[in-house]
Amino acid sequence: MRTSLNNIKETDDHVLGLAAPQDDLLFEARMILNPELRLDVAWHRQTLNLVQQYGRKQLRAEIQAVHNQLFTQPQHQSFRQNILRFFKR
Amino acid sequence: MVKTVNREQLLMELYKSAFPTVAKYVAKMGGTLDDAKDVFQDALVIYYEKAVIGNLVADDSKAYLLGIAKHMWFKKFKEQGNTIPLDDSLEQADEAEQHIANNKVLQFLATAGKRCMELLSAFYYHKLPMKDAAEQFGYAGERSVTVQKYKCLEKVRDTVKEKSLTYADFIE
Repeated sequence: MRTSLNNIKETDDHVLGLAAPQDDLLFEARMILNPELRLDVAWHRQTLNLVQQYGRKQLRAEIQAVHNQLFTQPQHQSFRQNILRFFKR
Repeated sequence: MVKTVNREQLLMELYKSAFPTVAKYVAKMGGTLDDAKDVFQDALVIYYEKAVIGNLVADDSKAYLLGIAKHMWFKKFKEQGNTIPLDDSLEQADEAEQHIANNKVLQFLATAGKRCMELLSAFYYHKLPMKDAAEQFGYAGERSVTVQKYKCLEKVRDTVKEKSLTYADFIE
């Protein structure tokens, strides 16, 4: 991999806690000496945060799609009736 | 852990097996079908996120989902009248989520960087193994999909940085 990608990998391993202890120690030393690397780490965390949010949104949409299927498709009619029965009063 | 195709199946199975019990419970407690849907879907998200990191002790998914849903119902019940969306009470919900600039960046990425976001969420959110990810995204092998993962991280990180700074300026 090219250097910039190796740097990304190192940062990723550090953020996820996957780096070997001696590598991580070195990484932390470099962070102290290099403010730019500290910023990179912060942006990296922010990026993973957004990826997490993106994934969750996607999952929610998939769950809603399943719900819609169950509440509209003819083959799930008995399931639907069973549920609706609980809310009749 | 779960490939996209299998995920839909899994969600369907969980919905069919566990939703009736949850709906029955919520109805008994005086809730509506929409309430039942809300707490159940929140419970499913929590269940899924725990399952993909291998953090589920109970293997009875139905009982587990009912347990979380009951908990969510109590929270919802207590918060009724407040306008706090239930989503905020999700364990891993991030407070930054509410930040307007953040949402704008996310919106931008969902359109301009969709393929990378799909790939990255497959790894970091759905915890798909390399082998499955390579197959799902059409890469020759684990190595090429790994390289692509870091390329995407680099690209998305640059975008996040650039857009966050722009939107922050815009808002403040």
